[in-house]
Amino acid sequence: MNSVEGFVTQIQGLSSTASDVSVLQNLLKQADESLHAESTRLLPFLDQLDPSKHSLGYLYFIEACTAGPVTKEQASTFALIIARFISSCVADQIRLAPDKFISVCKRFKDQVLLLEEPLHGVAPMLTAIRKLQSSTEHLTTLHPEFLLLCLLAKCYRTGLSILEEDIFEVDQPRDLFLYCYYGGMICVGQKRFQKALELLHNVVTAPMSTINAIAVEAYKKYILVSLILHGQFSTSLPKYASSVAQRNLKNLCQPYVELANSYNNGKVADLETYVKANEEKFESDNNLGLVKQVISSMYKRNIQRLTQTYLTLSLHDIANTVQLNSPKEAEMHVLQMIQDGEIYATINQKDGMVRFLEDPEQYKTCEMIERIDSSIQRLMTLSKKLTVMDELMSCDPLYLAKAGRERQRLDFDDFDTVPQKY
Amino acid sequence: MDFSVLNGALASKSFDRIADICDNLMLQVAAEGVAFQDEWPFAIHLLGHIYVDDINSARFLWKSIPAAIKESQPELVAAWKIGQKLWTRDYAGVYDAIRGFDWSQETQVLVASFSELYTKRMFGLLLSAYSTISIQDAAQFLGMSEDDATNYALRQGWTVDPVSQMLTVKKQAIVREQKLDPGKLQCLTEYVFHLEH
Repeated sequence: MNSVEGFVTQIQGLSSTASDVSVLQNLLKQADESLHAESTRLLPFLDQLDPSKHSLGYLYFIEACTAGPVTKEQASTFALIIARFISSCVADQIRLAPDKFISVCKRFKDQVLLLEEPLHGVAPMLTAIRKLQSSTEHLTTLHPEFLLLCLLAKCYRTGLSILEEDIFEVDQPRDLFLYCYYGGMICVGQKRFQKALELLHNVVTAPMSTINAIAVEAYKKYILVSLILHGQFSTSLPKYASSVAQRNLKNLCQPYVELANSYNNGKVADLETYVKANEEKFESDNNLGLVKQVISSMYKRNIQRLTQTYLTLSLHDIANTVQLNSPKEAEMHVLQMIQDGEIYATINQKDGMVRFLEDPEQYKTCEMIERIDSSIQRLMTLSKKLTVMDELMSCDPLYLAKAGRERQRLDFDDFDTVPQKY
Repeated sequence: MDFSVLNGALASKSFDRIADICDNLMLQVAAEGVAFQDEWPFAIHLLGHIYVDDINSARFLWKSIPAAIKESQPELVAAWKIGQKLWTRDYAGVYDAIRGFDWSQETQVLVASFSELYTKRMFGLLLSAYSTISIQDAAQFLGMSEDDATNYALRQGWTVDPVSQMLTVKKQAIVREQKLDPGKLQCLTEYVFHLEH
């Protein structure tokens, strides 16, 4: 019969070498139920364990302690204990029980939210991700939790740092949906619209067998970001999007699709009327801020269109065509677009004219070559990864069985039959 | 709370590092569950973001500060005023916000340095965006009197027409590096190899 004290002694004794830890892991797995039964007594025993040496044992104990409901006072104690555990634990040991580690971290997130201190959890959650993931290409269940904390604590820059990493391995599909959705929101907050569009695009075109709420909300933002960035939006999704998405997303986001239609007509006044009429809907979706950015992007779009027709144009004419109130307002708009790199032009105040210029980039500089070089390198790495995946898949029994069935139907003269069963 | 790294950066005038230092320190301190807000140098943190032209982060920082602290620290409110003017692109208003407050000893150097940097940035903007501009407007953009603005522009090679009160911009040819190094040949070889296989 094992008492809690007995477990503590075992943990202390079996945590030094890898083989000892394996033995310990088996013991702990068997003891898990008893630990949970004693959950209320476990807290004081944590002092006898060192999270940096006895990480696995500590993990089992803390997981059992926090399994039940927690009051606000307890949350405060536990949150601090877990934060310290995360920063001192040994990655190799906690990776032996990833599910438990994830549970503990999720509860940590719940606790800091209960205490209304999301900032408290940002740094520990990032450390937890680094210890859990096998490489920076690996997306864990903790990634979206981290991004959620960043959003709530308004630490957008910190969240952005993890979004720069390319992901090739995903644990759970839901992780990917949430990660890309929250990631899109963080990019929107930092005005990184291109990256936001890519992330939201991933949510909307990801494989799904039934429509899910994350994809619907992502689609709404996808429409708005697409209008802000490209000034246009097409309702047809690419072929690789799931049929479920292609059939249903448009219908579930009707006000946004109509907003896009109104935008395409190019008249700011009509767009503003439509937005006013549907303000409540946008507000309740928390998208009103983005919608307002869509409206201001329309002035930019209209000015950009002028560059396709004119070499020079007066500020007065710009104001009239784009429906601004005065030539001075037009001048300020053009100046801001020049500042943001959205247009190449010079303003001549003496004559009240704007001269539109060509993009001066000649793609001859060292800087540009570095950029092209790094893009090519990334593409080469991606291409190699795809080749490896392709080879793995062509050996997959499920794939071969399906291919074999289809080949038999099509190639009557083919003597090379692929076995359907092994 | 250990502010030695921050103080070091302030002393050595590495103002562009302040935002990063403050962000990281704040996350570390928050992770320890310490209630840090009353002692946190929010004004400097905010000015750090403004210095590197990251108005988005400045906005979010401002939003996350408790109302009680905003009310008790007029310097913080003054710092945000600068950020606000930058956000709304009230180019001339930025100078008013900078000059409209009696900055404390710690922040004075930072604000003065930002003011110089901002003037240079504005001049760069005028250089790229205008072929001619009125003296009056140029003075507003540069935060100087009309005479000072004219002299500043003349020193940069611009010309002035006193009759129309207009400055003519002198564009500067930007020289960009175009020499290639032999290492690029190796890269090209790798690309061709990759494409062949």
